[in-house]
Amino acid sequence: MSGRILLFVALALLTYGLWLSADFQQIAAGVAVFLFGMLALEEGFKTFTGGTLEDLLRGTTDRLWKSLSFGLVTTTLMQSSSLVSVIAISFLSAGLIGLTAGIGIIFGANLGTTTGAWLIAGFGLRVNIGAYAMPLLVFGVILLLQRHRTLKGIGYALTGVGLLFLGIHYMKEGFDAFKGSVDLASYGVPGLRGLLLFTLLGTAATLIMQSSHATLLVTITALASHQVTYENALALAIGANLGTTITAIIGSMGANIDGKRLAAAHLLFNLMTAVVAILLLRQLRWSVDLLSAQLGIAPADYTLKLALFHTLFNLLGVMLMVPFVDRLARLLERVIKVPEAAIDAPRYINEAALEVPAAAVEAIRKEIRRQYDSLRLELAIILREISEIASGIGDADTILSLDGAKIRLGQIDRRINLALTRLIRDKRITAYMATSLMNDCGYAYRIGRYLVDMAQILFAVRERRLKEAEQSLALDEAEIEKMINQRHRGRSPGAK
Amino acid sequence: MKTKKLLSKMADFLSSDRRAQQEHVGSIKAVLKKLKKKERDLRDKLEGERDPEKRAEIDAKLRVIYAQRTKGVAILKGLRNNSGAPG
Repeated sequence: MSGRILLFVALALLTYGLWLSADFQQIAAGVAVFLFGMLALEEGFKTFTGGTLEDLLRGTTDRLWKSLSFGLVTTTLMQSSSLVSVIAISFLSAGLIGLTAGIGIIFGANLGTTTGAWLIAGFGLRVNIGAYAMPLLVFGVILLLQRHRTLKGIGYALTGVGLLFLGIHYMKEGFDAFKGSVDLASYGVPGLRGLLLFTLLGTAATLIMQSSHATLLVTITALASHQVTYENALALAIGANLGTTITAIIGSMGANIDGKRLAAAHLLFNLMTAVVAILLLRQLRWSVDLLSAQLGIAPADYTLKLALFHTLFNLLGVMLMVPFVDRLARLLERVIKVPEAAIDAPRYINEAALEVPAAAVEAIRKEIRRQYDSLRLELAIILREISEIASGIGDADTILSLDGAKIRLGQIDRRINLALTRLIRDKRITAYMATSLMNDCGYAYRIGRYLVDMAQILFAVRERRLKEAEQSLALDEAEIEKMINQRHRGRSPGAK
Repeated sequence: MKTKKLLSKMADFLSSDRRAQQEHVGSIKAVLKKLKKKERDLRDKLEGERDPEKRAEIDAKLRVIYAQRTKGVAILKGLRNNSGAPG
């Protein structure tokens, strides 16, 4: 509810601002187009996350320097650290990469975002970037309308880049026009107070726009048209770095434990980098001046100097944190713990042998053995079925055959549980023993279900339409439940 | 972000034209045909089988196929009704 009120207030303020000034309209439209461009770019790259990116990720994250480079390169290419973070989190959750590799990717992604500032300051403001946007948009939209998945992906990516360029163009024009009427730089706050205030402002702006890139774009274009002082712009850049972390934390709230750990690592890294940048601001500025002179950047070229500052403090953060990545991973694993499983491990069988007379134990053993044998047999049947699907022989040649396995698994699980309930009722085993045995059956049932679910993914037909058709014919959970419950053992229904 | 959803919906809209629907109908028909053949094979197998356990296994498979085919026919009917295409 409060979110909606906030949105309403923000929209009302924005409407007032847009009505008040045509220049503000242009700046706001620039940000909107830029953000939409980022979304389109992400959408485009998502097309390639079906295989290429995953293969790359799997092969390039076995060492810390490799995962760092992966984060750096992919973020540079995609200009979106959030997409890279999401991929890292999903891979971490699937257990394909470790937490250390995940942290490495996040650090690399942070370095990768700094290229955005260079792109805007070095390219976006120097050439008529709007002219580049037009052909990109035209080709992008044409490709976007194609049915072929790869072409569509390329179309989204091109449209994304085109929109990014167009957004930068609008912002530049808007700020240039703004310069004539209002002097925002006069609101600049010097000293430590200004540093903290503008850091906060940068964080807030990134939170609202959900993109540190957009904040950097506004900062750099404002700096280029002297609407913000260099000192305050540096603080805004630090704030943008912090803001992007908060977005990651909000994103990880619904994520699993690994996602939370990675988000915590992200927060620690950016917080530390921001603190170091604020504490060493004077030294960093001095280093920027020194390096600028060596790189041939003019002393008054504050936009490029800001990009250099952004790169330097992120690099400093990485250099300070990299030696402690393993320790950080261990710390996070210790602090953010996996919740304990709700079911106990099996441990009562031996105790049972001590509690009940020998003859009774033997009878129970036989009874349970019978149930275990049928469970084992069921797992063997499933393995056979999966192997037949994999090799395309026998009558189990489609993933639809796996529905039968699901039903059988459900039936046997129910039968064993019933048998155990009967044993408890007859006071032949204790409730504790039964719980342990039921857990074992539960494990076996889940192993079977996971095998079947994985087989459904792995051995689905490659042709997309056929796969969709098979999936739509596959029985859903409710239908499977219904069939498990069917006691009917007579003649099977006739063909249609 | 909400816009992401909007963007994917737009993509869906642009690609879900009549031809795609027809292709979907064709794919379902192909799978149904495959299931029918499988059903026939299993029935033949059932006739020659004397082992009660194996008979029960085949019988269970036949019931699953029957349920899948019934579902497929219903989907096909629904698709045809929606598109108004001739049967």
